Amino acid sequence: MSSNDSIPHLSQKLCLRLLTDLEHARRPVLEAVKCSLDNAEYNFKVGYLTPGSKKVRTELNVSSVQKMSRAIFLLEILLRNLETGAVNTKRELYYISKGEIKHDPALKPLDFADQNESDSIIDFICEMLECYREELNCFANDRGGQTYSQQLVVTETMPDGDTAVVDLSSLGTSPFQPKNRPQSLKLKVKKKVDFCLVVESEGTANTFVANGFCKRNSCILMGAQGVPSNAVRGWCKLIQDQLKVPIYFFGDLDAYTIQNIYRTLKAGSAASLIRNSDYSAPDVKFLGVLPEDIKKYDLSDYPVKENDVQEARALKKAQDALKNDPFFKDKKNKGVTQLLDWLLKNKRRCEQQSLFTVDPRDPTMPEKIIVEKIKRGIFL
Amino acid sequence: MAKQKITSSSTAEYFSKNLQQVGFSSPTKAVLTTLKEAVDNSLDACEEAGILPDISIRIEKVGTGTLKSTDLIRIKIDDNGPGLEVEDVTKVFGEYLASSKFGKGRCSRGQQGIGISAATTWAQLTSAKGVQVITKTAKMRQAVSTVVQVDIKNNKGVLQDKKTVAWDRPSGVSVEFLIDGRLQLQGEGGLLTYLTGTALVNPHLTLRYKIGDNPVEKVERVSKECPGIPEATEPHPHTMKLGEFIAHSHLFGRVTVAAWLKRGFSRVTDNTIDDLVKAGIKKSFFEQSIDKTSETEFKTLFSKLQEATLMAPSTKSVITIGEEAFSKSVRRLGEVDFFSVVTRRPAICDFKPVAVEVAVARLKNPLAKTAGEDETPATVLRFANRVPLQFDKAACAMVKAIESVNWRTYGIQQPKNGIPVGPYVIAVSLVSPFIKFKNASKETVDASDELVEEFRRAIIQAGQRLSRHIRREDRAEDLENKIRHIEQFCPILVDCLCRITKSPAKRKELATQGLVKLLGRDVRVAEKQLEEAVEDHKKAQKEGKIQIVDSEVVDPKKKLKPARREKMA
Repeated sequence: MSSNDSIPHLSQKLCLRLLTDLEHARRPVLEAVKCSLDNAEYNFKVGYLTPGSKKVRTELNVSSVQKMSRAIFLLEILLRNLETGAVNTKRELYYISKGEIKHDPALKPLDFADQNESDSIIDFICEMLECYREELNCFANDRGGQTYSQQLVVTETMPDGDTAVVDLSSLGTSPFQPKNRPQSLKLKVKKKVDFCLVVESEGTANTFVANGFCKRNSCILMGAQGVPSNAVRGWCKLIQDQLKVPIYFFGDLDAYTIQNIYRTLKAGSAASLIRNSDYSAPDVKFLGVLPEDIKKYDLSDYPVKENDVQEARALKKAQDALKNDPFFKDKKNKGVTQLLDWLLKNKRRCEQQSLFTVDPRDPTMPEKIIVEKIKRGIFL
Repeated sequence: MAKQKITSSSTAEYFSKNLQQVGFSSPTKAVLTTLKEAVDNSLDACEEAGILPDISIRIEKVGTGTLKSTDLIRIKIDDNGPGLEVEDVTKVFGEYLASSKFGKGRCSRGQQGIGISAATTWAQLTSAKGVQVITKTAKMRQAVSTVVQVDIKNNKGVLQDKKTVAWDRPSGVSVEFLIDGRLQLQGEGGLLTYLTGTALVNPHLTLRYKIGDNPVEKVERVSKECPGIPEATEPHPHTMKLGEFIAHSHLFGRVTVAAWLKRGFSRVTDNTIDDLVKAGIKKSFFEQSIDKTSETEFKTLFSKLQEATLMAPSTKSVITIGEEAFSKSVRRLGEVDFFSVVTRRPAICDFKPVAVEVAVARLKNPLAKTAGEDETPATVLRFANRVPLQFDKAACAMVKAIESVNWRTYGIQQPKNGIPVGPYVIAVSLVSPFIKFKNASKETVDASDELVEEFRRAIIQAGQRLSRHIRREDRAEDLENKIRHIEQFCPILVDCLCRITKSPAKRKELATQGLVKLLGRDVRVAEKQLEEAVEDHKKAQKEGKIQIVDSEVVDPKKKLKPARREKMA
């Protein structure tokens, strides 16, 4: 990022424009990218959801003056953090702002009633500056992405310039936990890595490691822990870009997994249109469970309970996704679209752990099936 | 199977075993029902005699009840009505289905003559003592004091300890019940809720009451007009069944069919008879005596009459409280902020004359105080023929109508299809000679589509009137917020911008001026909207559509600091 594109510089420019408009009694307007599905575009060659031309315009008036004042107030705190290198979570920023207000009674009208209010202002700043919160030194709790490998070596550059080298093979059964801003990590491998496997369930990923998956295969094994966090998304993108190894996702066969977990990992989400370029791994393939696996391995599946609120909602969302989500509308993603369509029509679901039914006495059977599927190219 | 003997039992026997059907299903309800029946009788008697009612009530615990977890409660009600003749005392208090109003088609509180006899039975069953009655009519030199018991086997009243006593009033009745029960003051089935409601829909009533250890309360009358006694109306043929139709003819002796039809029914005229002739009934049939009419002829006449087009029943039999009296009465609810009252013209619903009145008031101190008052549902007061309905709210036609109205359009919060929330009281009153209750204890009005729609219209009218005040308040609040926003946020925004851009003080001053100028334009728009709302509000007040109790309106512009005001000007 050049100094002209840096966050402090962009912020300065924005504030100067606001001030000049005010001096001339003109109504300043703040523009932010509209982060929603109706402003999401998808191009298979790009590989992830990108923002369209729609903007959210906030014109200064008596109703918006509070929001604008809060935004500039929080921006000042964030710029100070960038200057000093301090980092904070959204919760901490909420309390920092409360502290500032406590010490200056004139700021009392800005006070946030709860964290949701300050969170939405931070999001608004990100959308306005077209950056992501990590770029403003505002980090989320690291969740998911616990990684195991006998080959991978990670070099981390610390904020003070020091480096730390982590050899994953030396960690035993302990995993490596990627950070929310994995761009500061450098990866290298001791020996050629054949593939990277992302398992939806953290528990199942642990089981595979305990049963010797990483010893028998030259691979990187990762647990996604449900809907991938920024850490998992950025980490997959890093593995894809720096190591150029094929990445496979293995999870449940249901609408929620395809639409929420796999789609987000591969192409990002509509809520994070600004950051999808750094937080999606378009090369990830869907390894299973596939409908043909149910037949081939005689897996235990069961019908979707339509009277279950959560499952009914997932089905409805999947129907909407087929109609409105540009990722599923793209012909190049026909395989995944057909899979979602199959799930909606047949209303059945099959869990990743069902592979353990194939040979209950052989703990390595799921591994054998996964490796066979990769070798024979049975994935989407 | 052995042959079992079939016996018949008296009405009193039936009710003594089924008192729960007439409001004696729990100790708390027993106290409320006893009070209610006695007050209803007093009010009906006063109104019939054209006397402004003056009722005193005393309810107190005097010991432990004979039933499990009950107290022995004394309930004493005195009125200044016309008093009862001694021979009527046995019938009124000791005989079931002895009534002066049954089937008369009038909007009286009591109808069948069950309630007060049931209260006497309850007293007799629980404390082994009937009701102590003191009565004096204007003609009597001295009052008569007696105890009335119900002879349950024969459904007759029995007098005991009858004696003459001196009484300091020209006429009236005093009743004293000693029953097993429990006192509940607040809440849906509370005694105070009942008394508040009764005072609301009876503006001509002066009420004194002392309950338990609480001090004596007095609610003065706000209207000196005693409600007129509505005219009794003859039944409308379309509201009758064949059996009733034939039985009705027996009341008229030897008159012609035409005379019976014209005198015995409302809305049957010579034109109706001509229509019936055209429909195929011989003209000579109408000239024959009614007692010579065969069942087949009755059947034919009944079916042709049902097919005939008749005017809707008369609405003369319903008399409303009236917007003026109701408005005065609303103020007795507590510290009322503002309110609107709607009295609908009498209408016909399900072929019965009905009159609906609605009052919606906002209180400064809500009746039902709970945590998070903004979330508390509005208090709903329901009345049928001026008697509060306190139980089984959910199934009532009035509540269904309240829930069907979109209150949000009037600026009042409302959960989806629910009762609106906030410090409001919604009082709905129905007056009709034929109210269709859901149960014998008259707690819920049956919800027919037509009746719900009639309630709905009245509620909507009241809501619309109220909304003009709420809109004015909203506009004033909006303007106040806008002015406050300018004062509060302008310096902060400009300060922050100048710190980030490291701008000099000169720029800060210019930007502040520009910002105030900009936002001042928005304020002027809000001011104009407020002016319009105030005008509309004044008009509504002038037309009497809305009444403000605390009419002090603070001009939001006055709250501005002088310097700011100048700048904005």
